[in-house]
This record gives sequence, structure tokens and C-alpha cells, in this order.
Amino acid sequence: MENFQSQTAQNRYDKARLAKNNGAIQLSNKNELDAEQLAELMLKVANLRCKVSFAKLFNHFGPKISAFGNQRLHQQGLAMDLVQETMTRVWTKAHLYSEDKAAVSTWVFTVMRNQCFDMLRKVQHNKEDSFGDDIWPLFESDDAESNEDDFKLSGTLLRHVDELPPLQRQIVQGIYMQEMTQQELADKLDIPIGTVKSRLRLGLEKLKGFMEKHYD
Amino acid sequence: MIKYHPQQELLSLHIKGELPLSMSLAISAHAELCGTCQHKLNLMTASESADVFDNHVEPNISVDLDSKMSFLLAQMMQNTLDELDAKPAAPVNEGVTEVTVKDQSYPLPRAFRHQINAQWQGIGKVSRLRLNTGEEHARASLLHIAPQGEIPEHTHKGSELTLLLAGEFSDEYNTYRPGDFMLLDENHQHSPKTMTGCLCYTIVDAPLYFTKGFSKLLNPIGELLY
Repeated sequence: MENFQSQTAQNRYDKARLAKNNGAIQLSNKNELDAEQLAELMLKVANLRCKVSFAKLFNHFGPKISAFGNQRLHQQGLAMDLVQETMTRVWTKAHLYSEDKAAVSTWVFTVMRNQCFDMLRKVQHNKEDSFGDDIWPLFESDDAESNEDDFKLSGTLLRHVDELPPLQRQIVQGIYMQEMTQQELADKLDIPIGTVKSRLRLGLEKLKGFMEKHYD
Repeated sequence: MIKYHPQQELLSLHIKGELPLSMSLAISAHAELCGTCQHKLNLMTASESADVFDNHVEPNISVDLDSKMSFLLAQMMQNTLDELDAKPAAPVNEGVTEVTVKDQSYPLPRAFRHQINAQWQGIGKVSRLRLNTGEEHARASLLHIAPQGEIPEHTHKGSELTLLLAGEFSDEYNTYRPGDFMLLDENHQHSPKTMTGCLCYTIVDAPLYFTKGFSKLLNPIGELLY
């Protein structure tokens, strides 16, 4: 079952496991499981929906996730939320786990980190979004096609320019499309340069308003 | 060959989930285009998870925590797990996998699939689609420059990240290809130009200040360009 990889991180990981296993013998900690035991439990959860195996995974990872959450989330109660959310996903997404791609602890870490990222966004920005799994995929997606692309293209700035009052439009077009200077425009239109400036300012503010309202 | 990659430190913060959304999107999209960095990230994630889960001395489990854990587990075993299995799978929202601008379509890296909620806006050859990352000081956008287009010379107050997603562009320093990841600070002036058109992801952490001729006037909307 051992796969020999020459990658440094993998070596470090094996060493870490080895050290932990030695420690575990001394401490005889009943919750400490090695990588193979964890993989076996994951498979049972994925294929047999085995709750006993899930409970073992819970006891193994729960306190570790809670410790990570305490460090990261700085808020009472959120660490337990992180445990609950992470372990819920371990149950519902177990079928996505592949032994060939990652160790169980790496996979659970990914699930936890993604969840924690979304929770932090909620705390810091009050945003109810879940982008973690987009940024750090849990598995290789095989759903390449999606034709429900209802993305529509409309409303360029140029069209907004046409919506400006004529006097402002004249100035904005002169400066941005004909690349004239303010003085050239003032001369051409026979108006004071101050008027050019104020019409330009008004026009730009209006354009900014047109554009910004799409983002609010 | 991609010549410009995120620094090691950024990769390391990324796998820990400690970067803001705008920058996490950039690293994820870069890795999707760059096998080397993706491989690095995979190894770093394995190593980080070992640090977090395996190398730590077992935390002192207080009686309080222990009882909370037992309660949660009991709850999940008795109800939650069955409820989760009984619930029909929620429809997967694939989000947006492609953007079209100026009659050109580009596939989007998966990190962006739920970030596209606005429309393209622009003047002339330059179009911008702002992402609403909710960050106060950073403006994240997709930026499209049509063939033969350029951005007037400008410096940045604060830094600017440009990740080229498709096409090519050049500035005073170099020519870039998809996947190139460039962080410029306020000391750099540049005026990117493209022959065949390009799509970039950009983050600026303060408004742009144009430094050349008539385009100074663009300042009020210069802020909107990126």
C-alpha cells in the first residue's frame, strides 16, 4: 500500500506521520489514526454510508478542526460551527474523495480551509457567499460543458455618452473621442474654458453614475 | 512558457486561505494556467495539512469542548446525517464559464465562475468588468483590450496586479503571455499595448493616476477603467 514518492513535501509528510505514530504509541491516544486507517474509514463512509466510521473520523478530526477554528476565527462559537460545517461536508462529499489524489487529512484540510475562508468573509465583509470551493477545487471537475451561459453584453460607456445632455455630450465627445484639449474645445465652441471644465465635470459625474449603479 | 509567477510567500498564504478574495482568485487562476505552480500548491497543501492536523501536539481538550463535541456528534448521528441523505441534491450552479466581449469569447478560469455579476463597460478599445469582491481598498476587474489597443501611460498609487488570461500584451518591460502574473508597485510607470487583443484580470489597491497628456483628464473615469 505504501507509495514511494520522491517529493520533499511527501517525505516531510511521511516523517511527520512516523513521528506522530511513535508519539501515539507512547500516549496510546485512542483517537489517533494513521493514513491507511483514515482512508479505509472514508471509503466506508462514501460507499456504505457507515455512521460508525463517520464517528471515528469525527473524533479524529473534530478537536483539530476546533483548534484551527479558534486560531483563525477569533469568535466564540464559530470554531464549533467550523467543526459542524466541515464534518457535514465530509459526510455529503465523501464520494468525491479519491485515495489516489490526496491523503484523507489533506482532503479534510481542504474542505475545512475552504469553509473557513467563506466563514471569514461572512465575519469580515458580511458576505454570504461560498467561493472557497471555486478557488480550491475539492476534485477534478469533469463537467466541462455548461451552455446555460446567460451572460449578456450591453450598455457600453459609449452608449451612455449618448444619453448625456447635449452640451455635456459635446464636451465629453470632443475630449475623449476627438482627443481635443480643453482649450481647443473652448476656442472651437467659443465658450470660456471654465465652462468646458464644468460641463466636463458634470458629464463625467453623470457617466460615473450610469456605470456605478450597476455595481450597487 | 510563463515567465512570471506568484512569489513563494503568496503561494504559501494562498494555501492557508489567508489572502483576500481578490488575490486568492488571482493565484487560483494562475495555477489553472500554470502546471508548475499547481504542482507546488498541491505539495504545499499536503505539507500544510500535515502541520495543522498531524504535527500539532494534541490540543488540551477541555471538559467543556469535549461535551460540546459529544453533543454535536450525537446530534449528527441521530438526525443530521439521515436528513442530509434524504435531502435531494441541490441543483449545481455552474456559474459563468465564458465571457464575451467585443464579439470575442474567452473561457474563464473556474475561480471566476461565480464572480461575474456585472456588465462590460468601456471607452474605445478598453473594456472593463468589475468584480464585486467586497474589499474596500482593492478594485478587482476583468480587463479587455481590443486589438491595437493600449492603456495610456500611468503609475499606480499602491500596487497593481495584472494576470494575463488570454492573448498577449507588451509594455516597456516585456511581452507577456497567458498565465503571466505581474505585480507592479507605485514606482513603475507603464503603458500596456496589445497587437491581437487580450483579456486580463487586474487588481489595483488604489485609483489609477494617468500621467500622460490629455489622458490626465481621464482621471475621474480612470478610476473606473480598472
